[in-house]
Amino acid sequence: MLIVRHLRKLNAPQRLQLNVDQTRRALSDANLQYDKDPQPLFTDAETQRLLQSMTQLQLEKVFRKRTVADNSTETKFMTTAQLEKEFLLTIEKAKKLLQMPPVVQIKPDTERVISKDPALKDFDDSKYVFTDISFGLRPSERKVVVRDVDGTLSYAPLETQKRMNQLYFPLDGRKSYTPRMFSDKELLQRCLDEHKYEFVLDRLTVQYEPYETEFHNISAKVFTHLNESKQFDLLRSTRHFGPMAFFYAWHRCIDDLLYDMIRRDYLYNAVQLIALSYKIHKVPVEYGQTLSQLEALQPTPAERALEELRSCLQKPSEKGIEKEIHAAIGKTEQDFTADELSLKFIEQYIGSEHALKKVQLELAVQTLKELNLEKLQLFKGLKKAHGVQAS
Amino acid sequence: MSLSPASGIGRFYKHSAKIIRFVRHGCANRPFYHIVVMERRKNQHQPVIEQVGSYDPMPNATNERLVALNTERIRYWLGKGAHMSDPAAELLGIAGLLPVHPRTYMNAWRNRKAAAEAAATEAVKSAETA
Repeated sequence: MLIVRHLRKLNAPQRLQLNVDQTRRALSDANLQYDKDPQPLFTDAETQRLLQSMTQLQLEKVFRKRTVADNSTETKFMTTAQLEKEFLLTIEKAKKLLQMPPVVQIKPDTERVISKDPALKDFDDSKYVFTDISFGLRPSERKVVVRDVDGTLSYAPLETQKRMNQLYFPLDGRKSYTPRMFSDKELLQRCLDEHKYEFVLDRLTVQYEPYETEFHNISAKVFTHLNESKQFDLLRSTRHFGPMAFFYAWHRCIDDLLYDMIRRDYLYNAVQLIALSYKIHKVPVEYGQTLSQLEALQPTPAERALEELRSCLQKPSEKGIEKEIHAAIGKTEQDFTADELSLKFIEQYIGSEHALKKVQLELAVQTLKELNLEKLQLFKGLKKAHGVQAS
Repeated sequence: MSLSPASGIGRFYKHSAKIIRFVRHGCANRPFYHIVVMERRKNQHQPVIEQVGSYDPMPNATNERLVALNTERIRYWLGKGAHMSDPAAELLGIAGLLPVHPRTYMNAWRNRKAAAEAAATEAVKSAETA
């Protein structure tokens, strides 16, 4: 154990040095680490709002069937008022399911000696591990101490502490051994090649604490692979989208994700992603104004999901012609103005030196503009045909 | 050796002598101990007042002996004037909860002495062969 710790200590500065070199480069190596504590930036209220908004809230995806023991559903008769209440509860539940695992620094494993007693040397031939099993303590505050063979009494290293916690207070789904998926590189690679990102990340979150080295290494590997395969939509509306976006923004490789967002016409999210990267790297570009303007124009993901739920209560005749046009084209007048604003901001980003894949992004923006123009014409035509007054 | 809750089912007199001691569970050649509070006069396999820990004397795969202690309850019972059996007192001494038991120091000293003697005879043997 001591040798391992020593090796870790030796490796730490080298790894840091590598990071500095790598940040400017596109993602190539799997071992991208956070070079300083990302926690204050991640838990910041504005960052959280940006990440949550980027994650989106697609109810079918949040409440999809999972590989769990109980997938049963309940059918009930309800009045409209009860249904309204149930909708609100559903949104709350969905928000809870989308809570992001935190992004924090790797916790250093420092040795804390309680007492050294040379007279106790060789008192026994193996060491003793004592775990405090007092009722009602959190796993993090549970004391685990080790009496070594040489008589030293010290707090247990993190690895032992975790093992003891798992032994006496098992966590559901966490294994006391390292699952082969994480210990065997080939198995993990196979999972990634089959695009089972969510499965890997879910299991990772259960198996490891966010401050562990393995958590950082494996999640970095997954995000890197994801950036190459560009299947970002698999993680959208799951709890891992936020940390993923944060990871890309931190390591300056948001371009592929940005391209994906533009291609799928999530322009607001694209703006948020750029703003996030500006915020993290303290780029002197004013993004707050654009964001607040867009925020006023567009509903939050939760509001949008609630709207979607409520729309099934309305009869088609009640909806009115405006809604019908919206349903046909998929955009309202507000959306068009928001798109214009976002496109301006995105083009500004593409023009700056921060964008790496300029040609690709420009093409995507151009295609989207053409599509939008067509849609706008159709929108105006439909409005005119139905005699709706321009607001 | 029936299973009972850790809160214990043993009945006891208010002013009887209590003791913190080991109860041997496990089986032949495989000891495993519960650390319990019970009336001093009772046999170890009678119902206990409370279980406050466990002790596995056989080293595990990583060469550790695992001990679990409900320190909060142990301190409570010690405060109530419970006695300690010698092995339990030794273990709590090693844990750092109580002062180290004299017998532990004695064992350590004997082990070191035996090791030194073994090393000396080994050195003599190797010198003879050379």
